Amino acid sequence: MRTTLPVAVAFLSGLIMVVGFFMNPEKTFFGNVEEEVLQWVTIVGGFTLLLGVVSIVRVNSRVVSQKRKDWIYNLATLISVFAMAIPAIMPISSDSNFGSIFYSIFPESWSFLFGTGTYSIYDWLFNYMDSPMMATMFAMLAFYIASAAYRAFRARNAEATLLLLTAVLVMLWRIPMGEAFLRIFSDSLPGYINTYVMSGVNVAVQRGIIIGAALGAASMSLRILLGIERTYMGKG
Amino acid sequence: MNFWEKVSGMDRRWIYLLVAISVIFPMLVVIKFPVQITPEARQLFDAVESLPDSSVIFLTFDYYPSTLAETEPMSVAALNQMFRKNMKVVTMTTVPLGGPSIAERVTRKLAEKYGKVYGVDYVNLGYKANYVAVLKGMGSSIEAIYPADNTGTMLKDLPLMQKVKNYNDVKFIYVVADNGIIDYWISIVNAQYGTPVGAGVTAVMAPKMYSFVEAKQLTGLLGGMKGAAEYERLVNHEGNAIRGMDAQSMAHLLIIFLVVIGNIGFFATRKLRRGAQG
Repeated sequence: MRTTLPVAVAFLSGLIMVVGFFMNPEKTFFGNVEEEVLQWVTIVGGFTLLLGVVSIVRVNSRVVSQKRKDWIYNLATLISVFAMAIPAIMPISSDSNFGSIFYSIFPESWSFLFGTGTYSIYDWLFNYMDSPMMATMFAMLAFYIASAAYRAFRARNAEATLLLLTAVLVMLWRIPMGEAFLRIFSDSLPGYINTYVMSGVNVAVQRGIIIGAALGAASMSLRILLGIERTYMGKG
Repeated sequence: MNFWEKVSGMDRRWIYLLVAISVIFPMLVVIKFPVQITPEARQLFDAVESLPDSSVIFLTFDYYPSTLAETEPMSVAALNQMFRKNMKVVTMTTVPLGGPSIAERVTRKLAEKYGKVYGVDYVNLGYKANYVAVLKGMGSSIEAIYPADNTGTMLKDLPLMQKVKNYNDVKFIYVVADNGIIDYWISIVNAQYGTPVGAGVTAVMAPKMYSFVEAKQLTGLLGGMKGAAEYERLVNHEGNAIRGMDAQSMAHLLIIFLVVIGNIGFFATRKLRRGAQG
């Protein structure tokens, strides 16, 4: 039962989506059911977010309570989760039942601090803490890329040399200074790079990859629908 | 140890210092080379520009704060164009972390500039989980997927949303994304519902998108900060992308310089290594 039921649910859900694709949602049963299933999926998706929050709280609180190595970082994670989530889910007016109780404790003039609107605590934390931290992490890639390019990008053979030359040309083409430099040789050179490298060779390679990946995804979907692929249930 | 051996074994902290200087220096000393427009950026601009005034257009904020430097200028430039043309803009996101806040902040700022009214000229739908279902579901009914907007106002109470029921009422979808969601906008919304889709994506994603532009599944493309700078030039609004071009130029030139030096060092020391072995 523990295996049969998920396989049956996967098969039926997949079947509804495949058949519903060809049906009019307003005039046919399958089309209508497909639309209904899509709404279920967004609701289930919402619960998976909740599951994620529960999981992160469970894992991190266990480390903090047992004071394992570097537990202070887990505590920081827990504080961050609650600092962002609690003010965001608090009511922004006394219109609802919960809101009337909440604003009988706190002054209603504080309502702008709650919810996710402009000037709320959530918005402040997002704009002045989360956003700069994420941007910083991403920006650090520039340092690693520069270092990696210096150490690893070598013209060891013909293929590597071709890749290296193409990369240098594209990098020059993608910046105004480089484009001005390329125009010294020919006014048409930046246009040629766009036409023959990006819209030519690049497109041919990308299409191969995209079609290959799509065929792989289609065969994997079919395996799941037919119950052959069961690794998503934690079984081989 | 000769010069090239020393260069090949250079401490990575020197490289980090060079990168820092190459990014900071152009922010202090403005050089400003002209930004040339690529055909893909022009195509996207023309597609939006050719729509009748007051057309309903979707603008997505499918990006995380980590790529704001590349993506936000695209959204800002696009909104400048859309509001200037008096278009009705519906914003949404498939990214939970940041997407709704970024959309709210950017849209409200520009709406104030152009005197646009929320609910009449623009609406922010916010975020809904499970993007495949969201994108597919909006083909039948936007209200079924988003019963309320980002602030919890019911869609039926927003005048703009009374005439936007599904993709049939949307003239163009302008996706700004830093992740694989763009594939689904193309394969679900463009392919199945026929709504034209244009995109602004990060530089690393751009090469893949060229195949969709060539197949006419994507109407125009902006790639990275350079793409954003091109669009800023097209809409005649100098923003962060044009200002950031000098820093990006210097960083690219530095990486090219490092690759060249690294290869010269590689070949010079290879001769020495072969000599030592032979």
